[in-house]
Amino acid sequence: MSAADLAGAKPLSGERAGALLRNIITRSGVIVTLLMLWEVAARLGWINTFLFPAPSNIAATIWTQSGPDGSPPYAMPMHVLRSMIRLLAGIALAVVIGTVLGVLIGMTRWARMLFQPLISIFMPVPTLAWTPVLLLLTGIDDRTTIIVVFIAAVFEVIYTIVAGIEMMNVKLFWVARSMGASRLQIFFRVIIPAIFPYLITGMRLGTGYAWRALIAAEMLAASSFGLGFMIYDASEYMSTNVIYAGIILIAVLGYLLENVLIGRLEAATTEKWGIQSER
Amino acid sequence: MTASRTAGVPRQKGGPSASPSQIVAFVTFMLPIGALLLFWEGVVRFGLADATILPAPSMIVVRAWELLNPAKAERSLLLVHIGVSLWRALAAFVLACLVAIPLGFVLGLSTGTYRALSPLLSLLLPLPAVAWTPIFLVAFGQGDLTIIGVCFLGAFFPVLYSTIQGVRGIGVHAIWVVQSMGAGPLDLFRRVLLPGALPALISGLKLGMAHSWRTLVAAEMLAALSYGLGYMIFAARSYMDVSTMFVGIVCLAVIGLLIEHVIFGTLEKMTVARWHSSGKVRGTR
Repeated sequence: MSAADLAGAKPLSGERAGALLRNIITRSGVIVTLLMLWEVAARLGWINTFLFPAPSNIAATIWTQSGPDGSPPYAMPMHVLRSMIRLLAGIALAVVIGTVLGVLIGMTRWARMLFQPLISIFMPVPTLAWTPVLLLLTGIDDRTTIIVVFIAAVFEVIYTIVAGIEMMNVKLFWVARSMGASRLQIFFRVIIPAIFPYLITGMRLGTGYAWRALIAAEMLAASSFGLGFMIYDASEYMSTNVIYAGIILIAVLGYLLENVLIGRLEAATTEKWGIQSER
Repeated sequence: MTASRTAGVPRQKGGPSASPSQIVAFVTFMLPIGALLLFWEGVVRFGLADATILPAPSMIVVRAWELLNPAKAERSLLLVHIGVSLWRALAAFVLACLVAIPLGFVLGLSTGTYRALSPLLSLLLPLPAVAWTPIFLVAFGQGDLTIIGVCFLGAFFPVLYSTIQGVRGIGVHAIWVVQSMGAGPLDLFRRVLLPGALPALISGLKLGMAHSWRTLVAAEMLAALSYGLGYMIFAARSYMDVSTMFVGIVCLAVIGLLIEHVIFGTLEKMTVARWHSSGKVRGTR
């Protein structure tokens, strides 16, 4: 259920740039209209401006909080940066550990017998339920949020990699082995290239979950920075401007991460390797 | 990204009527879990792990029994927490369905509206529902209203999205055929649109309930005043009562599994799986 196909995004083949421009205008039309309606309604006092501050106010908040006059200075970029660092650290952990576990489960009988039951009892636990336990184990610092991100993303990575290995042709191994490849060579030269498109898909799906989990985990467990922390902290001071600013940033960044950044990567790898990793 | 969360969980059927191979499969499935629990128990018993931070499984079971308080079932604390949580998740889910399904049909049928609104939807879809919690907190304060509101948003988008996909997946030919035979709008809805969209709709419902349940945990931790599993876990943290936290985690997982596999699994088996063996209402559009 990627948002890209919801938006009806299609690769622009031979179409002119004018079509692209028109596309952008029609696509953003409703959002712009809604924002303008909201603005007018707020200005004319039709809606409660405390609960629904005017979009221009929200934009102004983003602007001042991003600059040296924010409290603390450059607050907004700091929040975004800290969230991104946590997300990246968690995703990196999930990709490394998930790949190793996924390959083990896909390739060996004992790992499948050992890990599959364990995974199926850990997967149904809502990721955020671990937060309080992790808080006790590690205290309020980045480790808690990073581990939550890791848990949110790792199952997806394992799952897609196992699926990728199951799709591989056994003959590839026979060929490699009959030519005298070592286990390490088989891993790096045969398995990794074959599962790479799947890994990217798993990463995209995992990042979607991880982003949601990160925001919630930051609300529960961060002490100074992070977008989740920012909006929760703002709710205690009742500054709805900052909350809306945070929600907008979370939505836009989430969309960019999941669809544009990793979506592009996914499209590029599947195009290059010519493998359809259908999920 | 729909099936992935539920996948990889093999369906286990033990019981007296199971064939030997099923028993073997069940035993090999349980073996690593048992081994992990034993290892965990041993580590704590031999003092390798701090029991106040990582309680042994036996302690968790004892704590669960205390909380369940089976002697006085009407005053069982655990059951109250579970009941309150279930009530909130269900209320949010039902409300979400009431709004999302009609809206999904409208958006699915009128391509123009769908095209106009899809950028908004694709921006809101990846937004975690929990991010709305602060707004609800400011508006309503802590309590049921905030929690149900957040879970509503959690369940709303999967249901809406699946309904739209289901309606749009119905071939336009099927609609034309029925219309040309003189069917009214009600017939069209009852004979074509509803059956055609139902497979996607049911998987959307399943996803929506799962999202509602997962969102609930975070919402209860942030906004619950007294009861609920999320509240129980988060409150136990202040007393360093780790056993209670693990009891809550196990309950969340088990109830989530029950909802997903038992309730929606049977629903899917009764409906979608049966129809798909006969004939599909699918076409090009």
